[in-house]
Amino acid sequence: MLKKSLLSIALSAAVMGSVQAAAVSDEIIQESFYPYADGVPSFPGLEVGMTIDQSNVEQFKDVLDPAMYMFVKEGATTVKVGPTTDFALHDSYVEATRQYSGDVTIGEGHGEISKTVAGRPFPQEPSLDDPRAGEKLAWNYKYGYNWGDSAAIMPFYWTMRDMESGKKERTIKMNFHFLNFTHRTQQEPYPEITPNPSELFRAIYVQVLEPFDVKNTQLLIHRFEDDTKVDNAYLYLGFQRRVRRLSSGQTTDAFLGTDVMIEDFEGYNGRISDMKWTYKGTKYLLMPMYNHDEMTLDTETHQDEDGYQVIAFGGKGGCFPEITYQLRKVYVVESEPVDQNHPISKRQHYMDAQTFIIPRNITYDRKGEMWKSWTIGQAHPDHHLPVNKGTGVAIDDSFTMIDVQAQHCTTGQFKGIVDPKLSPVDKFTVQNMRASGN
Amino acid sequence: MSKTITTAFTPLAVAVATALAAGTPVTPVSAAETNWAGFVENATYHRKDVGLSKFRNTAQAEFETRFETDSLRSLTLNGTLRGTYDGVYDMNDDEFGKDARYDYLGQDWHDPDLSSPTILTSGVPFPCENDPTLCNNLDGYMDQDENDAKYPEFNDQLDFIRELYLTGDKKLANGDIVSFRLGKQQVVWGKTDLFRVLDVMNPVDYSRHNIYDELEDIRIPQWMLKLDWRMGANQVFDDSNLSLVWNFDKFRPNNLGTCGQSYRIVDAGCFFSSSLNESYLDLVTDSMGMGTNVYSANVPIIHDVEEPEWSLANTQLGLKWEGVYGDATFSLNALTYRQQMPSLHFRPIAPGAPAPAPDGVFDIKFPRVNLLGGAVDYYSMNMDAVWRVELAYSEGEEQPRDLNGHKETDMLRYVIGFDKNLVIPQLGTRSAFLISTQLFGEHILDHEADMPNDEDNWIATALFKGFYMNNRLSPQVIVAHDFAAAATVVAPSISFTPDNHWMFNLGLNIKDGGDETFPWSVAQGQSVYEPLARFTNGPIGVANAEDEIQLTVRYSF
Repeated sequence: MLKKSLLSIALSAAVMGSVQAAAVSDEIIQESFYPYADGVPSFPGLEVGMTIDQSNVEQFKDVLDPAMYMFVKEGATTVKVGPTTDFALHDSYVEATRQYSGDVTIGEGHGEISKTVAGRPFPQEPSLDDPRAGEKLAWNYKYGYNWGDSAAIMPFYWTMRDMESGKKERTIKMNFHFLNFTHRTQQEPYPEITPNPSELFRAIYVQVLEPFDVKNTQLLIHRFEDDTKVDNAYLYLGFQRRVRRLSSGQTTDAFLGTDVMIEDFEGYNGRISDMKWTYKGTKYLLMPMYNHDEMTLDTETHQDEDGYQVIAFGGKGGCFPEITYQLRKVYVVESEPVDQNHPISKRQHYMDAQTFIIPRNITYDRKGEMWKSWTIGQAHPDHHLPVNKGTGVAIDDSFTMIDVQAQHCTTGQFKGIVDPKLSPVDKFTVQNMRASGN
Repeated sequence: MSKTITTAFTPLAVAVATALAAGTPVTPVSAAETNWAGFVENATYHRKDVGLSKFRNTAQAEFETRFETDSLRSLTLNGTLRGTYDGVYDMNDDEFGKDARYDYLGQDWHDPDLSSPTILTSGVPFPCENDPTLCNNLDGYMDQDENDAKYPEFNDQLDFIRELYLTGDKKLANGDIVSFRLGKQQVVWGKTDLFRVLDVMNPVDYSRHNIYDELEDIRIPQWMLKLDWRMGANQVFDDSNLSLVWNFDKFRPNNLGTCGQSYRIVDAGCFFSSSLNESYLDLVTDSMGMGTNVYSANVPIIHDVEEPEWSLANTQLGLKWEGVYGDATFSLNALTYRQQMPSLHFRPIAPGAPAPAPDGVFDIKFPRVNLLGGAVDYYSMNMDAVWRVELAYSEGEEQPRDLNGHKETDMLRYVIGFDKNLVIPQLGTRSAFLISTQLFGEHILDHEADMPNDEDNWIATALFKGFYMNNRLSPQVIVAHDFAAAATVVAPSISFTPDNHWMFNLGLNIKDGGDETFPWSVAQGQSVYEPLARFTNGPIGVANAEDEIQLTVRYSF
């Protein structure tokens, strides 16, 4: 408690004079951030340690989203059930929510919100009667604790696979870095980094290490605090040795030929204002959340001096992470693109209620047919690298994007590290791309 | 996949790093790890009516060694090694190489009708293997022998070491970062594809494949020191950087391709190894009443190449300030350097002496040039597209002209580019197509009527590139049109990358135009092709007979 109090004082001092917000009640805080404090959810017949497969999938249809149900039913994968665990976010984020989210309001225009400092802007339980509940949940995702104030994935293996034959077509090795310029709660400085003349909210920096033909490709995305402003995106191509600006068309394109759009990163990587958001209800579903050190690991893809190994993949075409799933409280939200020329018609997001990460997505094409299934496995930080322990970050740890129409997938294997030294501010500049390019 | 090696290479890397870093305030270092990557490649091109025009086999290896040191935030040594063997000189030696012979100057470009054949001889292929006088005159420039063309990196400049540089950076107390990059390197300025406006720090080897190879592969790396002061964001700019580049290498001009090579931009190599016909000169001097025995042999077009020797005064210096302001990224550039294209200076002769001088008509010089310029790109939300503008104003350049060979003039060059990504479902892919267009303009401020280049000229380019099969199959078409030359090149190609290692690229390179003539005073003012119209027709027009089908196979590791 002493730690919390000191943190509260520090946060208050940091923003003193800028925003005076009404405090959020403890009851709301408890319900929003500690949904399993009074017990974990259950479902008839579902037990920790069991496996859901073709033989029993009908019994557990209600705890699977439609895509996972389809995959299990057709024998493409199985679902191993793990215990529901507490993915408690960092105290600083919870305290920021308590202090600054009491009077946050949604703006009149689409993609507008009143001034927020840090924390979860709408910690209250969503209501189906609220026509803008979906938008509020999207804001909670955008300003979620996510990777914390900064983090890195070093390295990050993306493998393109033919789902029918299981052939690995290409593997791209990358480094990813994330940095929040504003809404910071845990890493100094907080709540924001200054100077910040364009009022950036967040930046993502990607550097490709292998293979040779895309080596030194770098991507930098700047997202603005003003959600109505389109991201600035920059691409450095190794063979051109210069930085190109990207038009937003490339953010909905196959990133480096994978099944993943830039807009797909982390579950959704775009503006709130690009989508119409609809809250469809709260469910208890099996989510890909687990302890990394208890999973089956891939002994070939990555070796390092830490002894770290990445999550193994199996199932049809090697397209499914070999992980356990746990029953969790989930908000089902649909997003429909505002732009009628967008390549998709909608996404169904399954937002984890405790963390507001998006471990499961289903994407539908312009005809309304299921196109892609996104899974991003979340590892508990206390069962991962020692540096991640106590960070409160649900570690993105394994992903698969399955193109169900093309029977093709891209899988991702992570080494996620929450360490501010790996993501200094200067790494998120255009000049860094030139300096890092060879 | 690249390989990480931490064994035998380490002592060498430390030694090279120590040598490069001599004089810099770096504490003793130790190598952490070395990563190697590279490829082997065969490029086989077939030219219409000529046969094989390229059978280039390349091996390239790149390494990066990271060092641990307490005094710098990071310290790395990078190198790129490249070796090439072009078998075309062994496999099609009737057309290319020391034994090739040309009936008249410009044989690969135009028919003989307007070629001034009675005045100019044809070019001598590889003059250093066929004509000692020409070889001596061209000493130091465009004087390669056949082996130099077969194995272009293995020369006195050690070009097989394409790049070798040490990079370090240090964070200052105020958060700014200072960095250096010292060694043989490429420094890239500007935002233009295919053409160079600000990207003039390194000379270019056009003998590899005219203007069509990636600039990364044809820039001639130079020994340079680059210093950057990365100031990051301030109250106005989101990013700001000041960069100083000192090219302390001995000056090297663009390689235009020696006569006898399969690619020689604007056929300059053959012009430089041609001569004025003695029989023509005899007729002229006789008509002037000077007798017919003034010239005892053909008079070489080039008498001497005056390449600047190394001296501190002959080094080149550039300064760039760049940054990000809102939705725009910008740079302001200043450079003092040497013109990389040769300038022909008519040789002064004594009053009453015959013209031209019997031992050569022109000397080649590379004048000092001062350049100011800048570049901006801007993302337009409304158009969902990116605009690029690049501009360079130079003084000291010399442009070719009929009278006296050249004239010094200020020059203005600019590019307006437009890039957009567009999904076109009708073309059978959900991936966006890249549409990129450019208009490259050139304005000669002190233009003269006897200059073969127009006062204003433009070249328009368009790139249309698509992606299929998870980007592993990528068709594209590049079109470029030179307005003054009325010449067009269309280059469709398709590349297939089945896995992490193999890449296959099949392409066509089809040109049209190149039919412009220009009046030459020596030919009584007739509009002829030779020699001046090569400038009017430019690199696209002069290569109008070089239609090719091209296959490249690469294995990367």
